[in-house]
Amino acid sequence: MYGTLAPTAKRVEDYVPLVGRDLIDGLKRLAKPFKGLRVLNLSVTAFGTGVAELLRSSVPLLSDLGLDCQWQVVHVDEESARVNKQMYRALAGGRADWDERMVRTWQHYTAMNADLLRDHFDVVVIHDLQPAALRTHIEKGRHQRSRWIMYSHIDLSSAQDDVWSLVRRHIQDYDALVFEDETFLGVGIEGVPVSIIPPAIDPSGPRNMPLSQNAIAGVLDQYGINRRRPLVAQVAPCSKDCDALGAIEAFRLAQEQVPSLQLVLMVTSLPEDPFELTYFETVAAEAARHSEDIHFLSNPGDVGNVEVNVVQRAAKVVMQRALRKGFGIWLSDALWKEKPVVAAPMGGIPKQVIHGKTGYLASTTEEFAGHIVNLMGNSETAQELGAAGHQHVTDNFIVCRYLRDYLHLLEGIA
Amino acid sequence: MLSSIPTTPKALENYRSLIGDDRIEEILSLAAPLKGARVLHVNATPFGGGVAEILNSLVPLMVNIGLEADWQVIRAGDDFFRVTKGMHNSLQGMLIDWTPQMWEVWLEYNRANGEMFDEEYDFVVIHDPQPAAMLSILTETNQCRPAGKWVWRCHIDLTDAQVQVWDMLRPYVSAYDGAIFTHRDYMKDDLRGPIPFIVPPSIDPLAAKNAEIPEDTIESILRHHEIDPQRPLIAQVSRFDPWKDPLGVIDVYRSLKRKMPDLQLVLVASMAYDDPEGWAWYERTVRRAGEDMDIKIRTNLNGVGNVEVNAFQRAAQVIIQKSVREGFGLTVTEGLWKGRPVVAGNVGGIPLQIVNGETGYLVNTVEECADRVLSLLGNPGLASNMGQAGHERVRDNFLITRNLRDYLHIFRILAGLEPAGEGRAVAKFAQIRN
Repeated sequence: MYGTLAPTAKRVEDYVPLVGRDLIDGLKRLAKPFKGLRVLNLSVTAFGTGVAELLRSSVPLLSDLGLDCQWQVVHVDEESARVNKQMYRALAGGRADWDERMVRTWQHYTAMNADLLRDHFDVVVIHDLQPAALRTHIEKGRHQRSRWIMYSHIDLSSAQDDVWSLVRRHIQDYDALVFEDETFLGVGIEGVPVSIIPPAIDPSGPRNMPLSQNAIAGVLDQYGINRRRPLVAQVAPCSKDCDALGAIEAFRLAQEQVPSLQLVLMVTSLPEDPFELTYFETVAAEAARHSEDIHFLSNPGDVGNVEVNVVQRAAKVVMQRALRKGFGIWLSDALWKEKPVVAAPMGGIPKQVIHGKTGYLASTTEEFAGHIVNLMGNSETAQELGAAGHQHVTDNFIVCRYLRDYLHLLEGIA
Repeated sequence: MLSSIPTTPKALENYRSLIGDDRIEEILSLAAPLKGARVLHVNATPFGGGVAEILNSLVPLMVNIGLEADWQVIRAGDDFFRVTKGMHNSLQGMLIDWTPQMWEVWLEYNRANGEMFDEEYDFVVIHDPQPAAMLSILTETNQCRPAGKWVWRCHIDLTDAQVQVWDMLRPYVSAYDGAIFTHRDYMKDDLRGPIPFIVPPSIDPLAAKNAEIPEDTIESILRHHEIDPQRPLIAQVSRFDPWKDPLGVIDVYRSLKRKMPDLQLVLVASMAYDDPEGWAWYERTVRRAGEDMDIKIRTNLNGVGNVEVNAFQRAAQVIIQKSVREGFGLTVTEGLWKGRPVVAGNVGGIPLQIVNGETGYLVNTVEECADRVLSLLGNPGLASNMGQAGHERVRDNFLITRNLRDYLHIFRILAGLEPAGEGRAVAKFAQIRN
């Protein structure tokens, strides 16, 4: 285990103007019995992922509410990192080659991390399934009085059998299981109470903070994005799962009706294996063929939180052509900025994009293009959807709502 | 063909207001006879690392001035990268146990990538040792030397290279037409064959890390990170490791804090999973900072990206780089470019950038560092003058446009468009004073 991360401090009071006094006072009441409760959030990643974003905003807020809340990251080396990645892939429904040697590596590193977990905690929340066996290893000695929660952030419904049944054995003894959506449960979960807690965004951070026109213009100019031409954006990992090629296809069809339209493909996570790299290169080549109209922002230096903020604000419409893993909480970042979203009805999208209210659900290239064209030509509808989207996120996907669910969960197991 | 890496287009014209008409015209006229020349850059990693960062700017700029420049990356497995990491370390002076099998892995991947190399170029620039064997391998398999001029761009300091490894590598790089080093001292005397060139590193003034950002954005970022824009701020941007001495920086801050109770310090870094030493030093740094809430430790763990680093540097009154060992020290360049005086360790490439007492101060101890920082904080006029001088020095010597110009000279010399005796070619690009 790496040592405790030092997140930027936050205060719940600062969120009153965003979510209202009632919710914040409610949080304080809920948190009262947990003053000084030692809670460890343990994750596999510390940056660049939705889980890291969520912990970055929620851990300091839980501390501000009086809990003794910490965030640590599991220790990996090259080999175990590879195994972890394969495990993630298999659990998320991609195929992975899984063998006995990988199982041994996994067990070995879990045992090592269990040894590193020295302090006592009242509650241990494990984010994502790769460290699931920690509890099994620790049970032999310490931490018997701790409550253990497994919080899975991926969709397990089509997980690879062998990997899932291995992991499932180790989560039977947890005190609670948490999923982001009721459709994300793996098969055969019995005997452990299950909660649903969707992820959430932090409207106060650099990803969502207000930006002056000047600041937006500066970044757009940097990437040669024309400020006078209408813009549609997909801000997502550049993987098959998000169908970047399909996004280009939909854009090209929409462009037939709106010739001045531009597309920004902003890559929020880079290819990690040869298979993904090949796909990435195909997308790059396709984008390069239309480089006058398609901006492919794939340099990691170009896609920090501020740049995501800029592109979502500059776009008239944000799209998400597909989503085969997880919730896609970044769409709430776009809705928060009052942007209508056109997205595939997959993963957590239907919870965020309410068809005809906060955006449109679309499946085919024609449907995507049709909705994009319609929104480009109809600012009034775009504005209405945007406003409704902002309200929908305020009500459902802000970190304060997540904190409320989290505290309720603690209530249930303490 | 290997796989091409996409880059965002860039226009030289956008640099005009930063570097002036003369330098723009110079580049354009140097480039004129090279119009349409096919240039290929080859390296090992498309993302992350200093080389990729430079190519991200350099390649689209070459395209913009009329060259047909492309950037491709070799394909290789984990075993290759394990071997070349060891090779890299040993060339920088670390002792590594070398086995014939390791060379085999290196050669095998060079051979496999060579097989995919099926186009012709006027200039091929091979970056660092990873793909360096491709030229010899192509020559061998095709029974003749591939077309065009081949240049080996070495980004590593070879001063203390492990002899065994360098001796194995040398025949492969001896075959090149030109070899570029970062510093005169980094060259190897026993490398004969390629014409040697010196090209110092550079920064891109229009990249997110360095471009101007509006005051209100800087302020929002500071507030989000709990930094008070009204109070004095000092900053160091560096990996957490013993060579950058983050603990020493905290000691500097502590000794100043007694005299300036409202002083703030921000330590900025980027963490990587494959760097356990970095994590260990992160923890030590957090512990040393203790309960002092005016010490901010801000990394990608806090969501810090390039824009944030940029904002912290611009917000600081003085930038520290208390290195006890350093390569070139590009974070010093970044700080100077932003018009901030930099107080830094007198090591590596730092003295090339900091003219003591003119663009900042060179220091050796915590006490010296604290004294210099204090004098700058107490004398905004002096700080501003030094910052201005530093900005000028970077503009003259360490911008990507100068790097671009150097490449044009090198291509022209190799193409016979410009005369070059060996000595002259070296001198030509070693224009840094001191």
